[in-house]
Amino acid sequence: MYVVCIIRVIMVSSSMSRVMCVSAAAGVLSSSVEQKIYVELNETVPCVRLLNATHQIGCQSSISGDTGVLHVLETESDLDWILSSGPHPPYMVIMETAFFNRSVMMRMKNSSRVAGVAVIVSKTGLADNFSPHTTCPNQNTGVYSASYGSDLANCNVTMWNPLGNGLSYEDFAFPVFALKDENQTQVIRKCYQDHNLRVNGSAPQYPLCAMQLFSHMHAATDTVTCMRRTDLQNRFSINPEVLCDPLSDFNVWTSTRPLNNSAKGHAANESVVIAATRLDGRSFFWEQAPSAEGTVSGIVTLLATIQALSPVTQEAPPPRNIFFSFFQGEAFDYIGSSKMVYDMERNDFVIDLNNVHSMLEIGQVGLRRGRSLWMHSDPVSRQNKSVDTEVSEEERKLSLFSHALSLDQPSVSQPLPPSSFQRFLRVRGIPGLVLADHNTSFNNRYYESLYDDAENLNVTYPPDLSPDEQLVYETDAAKSLAEVATLVARSLYIQAGGEKKNLNNITADPKIWFLHQHVSDCVRLLWFLGSGPPQFYIGLGPRIHGPVHSVTRFVQYILANLTGTVTNLTESQCQNPSEVNTENKDLFSYFWVSGPASVNNTGEPFCRSASVRLSKAVSPAFELLEYGSPNYSIIPQSRWKSIRARIFPIFKYCPLLTNHTSMESFRKWTLMTGFVVQGHKWTCL
Amino acid sequence: MNLERMPNEEKLSLCRRYYLGGFAFLPFLWLVNVLWFFKEAFLKPAYTEQPQIKSYIKKSAMGLILWVAVLTTWITIFQHFRARWGEVGDYLSFTIPLGTA
Repeated sequence: MYVVCIIRVIMVSSSMSRVMCVSAAAGVLSSSVEQKIYVELNETVPCVRLLNATHQIGCQSSISGDTGVLHVLETESDLDWILSSGPHPPYMVIMETAFFNRSVMMRMKNSSRVAGVAVIVSKTGLADNFSPHTTCPNQNTGVYSASYGSDLANCNVTMWNPLGNGLSYEDFAFPVFALKDENQTQVIRKCYQDHNLRVNGSAPQYPLCAMQLFSHMHAATDTVTCMRRTDLQNRFSINPEVLCDPLSDFNVWTSTRPLNNSAKGHAANESVVIAATRLDGRSFFWEQAPSAEGTVSGIVTLLATIQALSPVTQEAPPPRNIFFSFFQGEAFDYIGSSKMVYDMERNDFVIDLNNVHSMLEIGQVGLRRGRSLWMHSDPVSRQNKSVDTEVSEEERKLSLFSHALSLDQPSVSQPLPPSSFQRFLRVRGIPGLVLADHNTSFNNRYYESLYDDAENLNVTYPPDLSPDEQLVYETDAAKSLAEVATLVARSLYIQAGGEKKNLNNITADPKIWFLHQHVSDCVRLLWFLGSGPPQFYIGLGPRIHGPVHSVTRFVQYILANLTGTVTNLTESQCQNPSEVNTENKDLFSYFWVSGPASVNNTGEPFCRSASVRLSKAVSPAFELLEYGSPNYSIIPQSRWKSIRARIFPIFKYCPLLTNHTSMESFRKWTLMTGFVVQGHKWTCL
Repeated sequence: MNLERMPNEEKLSLCRRYYLGGFAFLPFLWLVNVLWFFKEAFLKPAYTEQPQIKSYIKKSAMGLILWVAVLTTWITIFQHFRARWGEVGDYLSFTIPLGTA
């Protein structure tokens, strides 16, 4: 094979297509030639395949990548060129932002002339709204179903995300990548302009610029099939291939009075008010979820609430415990909250549902119109008199503190928006409320998309501030969230039975906004100092990804910073606190952190103890091995071998390289020829 | 092995061995038998052992055609319907292609 290929190169020196053969040979020859042909694109983000009980969603490429001639989609005539009139199909579409919508993508999906799509991610040309999520998020795993509030189910009454185009839940047979780096996009554009531009409407001539995208996914069909095949591989194969992994990570929880972590089940004499929010988001592309309005607004508000409450609850603890929880995986059918409720039902958690007095959830609160904030409640559970009284009480307590805000309730027959509270209601009629900035449908026009970032939340700084000054600058968004946090903190304190005289000390600090952009001086986490804003996609958990997801760790350490106390334990004592008899490993966790940064160095490390814990957030369906379960989230993420992208020139018409199906038929003909030759040998015996 | 140099009894016994061996789920033995002894059985001038060789070749050919028909049918059905069979298809497969149904 080596010799044959080298001879071909010598004989057909001008045809670059044969040089592919040389790269099959070992040695120095291959890498230098390969570098002369291919330009690797490193800053791309793929769309990957996810499964559910019945469908596959996301994108798939061929096992050896999909190749196509580059064409930039800027105008309608480009769309016609790609889909019908261009002479060099299949095309690799470089899609400008304005064209990344449902109608164009569905036309691409139905066409056989599209080898793949690379979407340019930028704010220029961005439409007024873009949400690739469905119009009714998590409709099958919430509380409303045919047996509970059937007229409210499936968003019959209120369409929560009317701008949703459902692209994230479509199945594409070609790869879709996102180009986030402007410099790289320039390289691609230059290649296109140099070779692929149409001159006066006539077709461009060879050599043409082409792009190849590799994102071959292992999983197919649905979750049941994928888990069955993984199981077969693990049992019978020498080299097992895992096809998919369940989405999993950790919830973060803490409480004003520490709870004994080793005592599972009902906690005696504990009546708990749960304050919850979600910790994750998603978008069309893998691991991209800036989720500013969707998630960060809730996280920051709850963190500010905790910060405001912690000094007062230390001095004058209310009779009821306040349990703060950040649920991971809520974008994918409530992974974290369903797991916590499941554990509570089976007495496998520090508290159970009998301990829960009421619940307050913070939904999307960043985009308040004017001063209004809405309290959503569940009309079906309120038909029960005692629950109704409790919820009305809760609403009254919230209204006591709404000086800067205008708190309203939606009409009585409106269901709850998608929220973790729905999973609690599925099991028990707990009184509770969900706070949100929207009445009927979301104010978030970029729900669960790449564009739900700081700009969507109107976080803007005056242009002349340095990054350190930006850390302490109070933006309007920060002030708005601080108002909500103050309201929540005070009403939680009253709800927990605290005394009114302590209320004036509870105020949230708008500077808490630094949490969105930067890491606090006191808590420096090496692996969090990456570039760009934090991404809130749930990911695959510690088995696959290494340590705990960075955002989960981030929130955990921030909470430890806000609610914990400094101890004087040494590092080894901090890691084994059971040896020290003043410390209690059941009530607290111990963190070895570095101290505040000063000008010269990063400060002395010390041991902090806090009652902050992580609890596993993986769907109960994967523990019960019920992969087709309609009651829990069953969304795994496919595995893959390599994901990459590269561009290269095609020098002449070569059916082997430009058309994937031609490669298949070439292989078949070679095989047939081989058989014929072999058969001829046999007849001469 | 050169059949030209073999005495007829040996040719017959070789043919018979291949014929009997094919019954052990080895249709390729029948294929080889047919291709190898075809000239001997039908194109050479008659000799004593030839009628028996002819009958072995005919029976081998019938067995071969039967195997080819069964295998072709099964392979076509399996390739076409494996994805639709779901669980059964997966349990019947030795290697399942990644990323497709």
